[in-house]
Amino acid sequence: MTDFIDVDVRPILRAGGEPFSIIMAALERLEPGEGLRLLAPFKPVPLFDVMASKGFAHRDAELEGGDWEILFKPRDGSLEAGEPAPVALSDDDWPEPAVRLDNRDLDPPEPMVRILASVERLAPGQTLSALLSREPVFLFRELSKRGHQWRGGFTPQRDAYQLTVKVLA
Amino acid sequence: MSAGTGCVPAMGTKLVVGTSVCKWTVSYFALAVVWLLLAEVLMVAGFGFPHTDFGGPDTLVIVHMVCVGWLSTVLSGALFQFVPVLVAKPLYAERWTLPALALLTLGLIVLLAGFLALGGHFNGSSWLLPIGAGLLVAGFALVVANLGMTLWSARPLPAPARFTAVGLACICVTAALGGTFSLVLSGTDVGALWPDLLLSGVPIHAIAGLGGWLTFTAMGVSYRLLAMFMLAPDGDAKLGRLAWRSGAAALAVAVVGGVLALWRATGLNLVLLLAGAAALLSLAGYGSDVFGLFRTRKRRALELNTRMSLLSLGNLVAAAILGAASAAAGSLQSHAGALAFLVAFGWLTGLVLANLYKIVPFLTWLETYGPVMGRAPTPRVQDLVAERRASKWFVLFFAGSWAAVFMLSIDSALGFRTAVALVTLATLGIGEELVRARRLADVAESLRLPLGATVPHLLVSRN
Repeated sequence: MTDFIDVDVRPILRAGGEPFSIIMAALERLEPGEGLRLLAPFKPVPLFDVMASKGFAHRDAELEGGDWEILFKPRDGSLEAGEPAPVALSDDDWPEPAVRLDNRDLDPPEPMVRILASVERLAPGQTLSALLSREPVFLFRELSKRGHQWRGGFTPQRDAYQLTVKVLA
Repeated sequence: MSAGTGCVPAMGTKLVVGTSVCKWTVSYFALAVVWLLLAEVLMVAGFGFPHTDFGGPDTLVIVHMVCVGWLSTVLSGALFQFVPVLVAKPLYAERWTLPALALLTLGLIVLLAGFLALGGHFNGSSWLLPIGAGLLVAGFALVVANLGMTLWSARPLPAPARFTAVGLACICVTAALGGTFSLVLSGTDVGALWPDLLLSGVPIHAIAGLGGWLTFTAMGVSYRLLAMFMLAPDGDAKLGRLAWRSGAAALAVAVVGGVLALWRATGLNLVLLLAGAAALLSLAGYGSDVFGLFRTRKRRALELNTRMSLLSLGNLVAAAILGAASAAAGSLQSHAGALAFLVAFGWLTGLVLANLYKIVPFLTWLETYGPVMGRAPTPRVQDLVAERRASKWFVLFFAGSWAAVFMLSIDSALGFRTAVALVTLATLGIGEELVRARRLADVAESLRLPLGATVPHLLVSRN
């Protein structure tokens, strides 16, 4: 059995802090053979790549209430032996969306209202993804005024617009 | 794929800045409504057609008040707001919008003074017409350059924007011809070079202006607005193709053929017949597209603005059928006044007022509640208007317009003035509804001004 050191980054994120350095510091303190149990408000996909490069495999599970528990274990350990480290896509450096909205059938400007209302409830660094029936041109201005980042584009069939918003970290 | 400010765009992405409220759009709207009311009051007072000659200077005062002061001003203001939304690009130069409004307004005032002088109402200089026309040309040039550069940055254009591009080309033709007419009418030496220009040029001036600039642009814009407000899918690349191609062909035949006919002095009949046939095909395509959007809509109960837009569209179809029928019967000349009124009021003014009733509350809502949205409870756009109260003004407007068309067709001048009085009353009523929306007068007090929101200015937007 591997021993796991707990790191809960949820309060740090909620307070607007930057959890990466804290996770790295905890990693430094691990004894040989010890693992890390991370609690986060979202699935920290970018971290998997970093941890894989440091020789850790991971296993993630969604908890009740939408939080995530991720077990990082040294690769020589016995956690799902042989499981390849996930390769992050170049576009995938943002965390998995904490909220997903389907706003395609809403009257304009209701899609914009719902996205802004949901974004206000996210913790810093979290993302939201939304499907829309058209490009939300008036929303972009409001998002940038609030300091949020976004990525968006039409789906290949051009029948919907896929938007991801990342809350100012 | 596009990415917002502040993040590093992944490969193949472009940076999007989004669209904001155009500062002077409501100023365009307000000034335009004032011109409309002024024109209506003059008609009620018995100024111009049918009391005087259809092509006489007094009628030209009314026609230019309606087509330039009201329709062109309101359309320009709406396009400054709407073209960036259509093509998802920012307006090329927001700082050009106020000078353009000033040039258009001043140019129209001088032009109208020129017509009044021409009609013998006062003893003005013969240069009033060319100076007014020059100012108008400069104003329209600023509008066209601004919108044209915005469209240029967004090639390849989506279908509704292609209609706008043709409309912009047509206003250039209209303005250029208008400028030359002003030289002829002013009796200056330059104008004496083209003595016959007015006779054959006026139909092209009117077709390019009413048909190309005002109607064709409004058709294009309505594709997006109707799809948006009826929640109908408009992603099909074929949507609007027939209407655009045959409409653009009709306008090209009318304008190019018309200018050639002028050159060769061959008369306009063949050109107008061909253009008319293509225009009918375009309208048929447009009608079937709109019917398709209506059938596939996800929103069952339509809002007042959409219902009234569809009603005005019915007036366009009616005008086309009546126009074709009277052309076939050889009575187009005698029905020209009634048809022109049906197009200018039943179709264009009705459509514009219906959409102002949606656009003004939306822009006001965005400006007032955008900054606090998601942070405090905010009203919906519908909460800024009282549809039930407003719908009686729209009913009065359309009833009055139809009555006016009928009175013109039976040559009842008094009946026409009475009908236009109803239209004027309805315009005042709709105007008051727009002012109330701007003032947030119909919003419940508990939602009206959450912390951080302020009442917008009546005539200018903060952006």
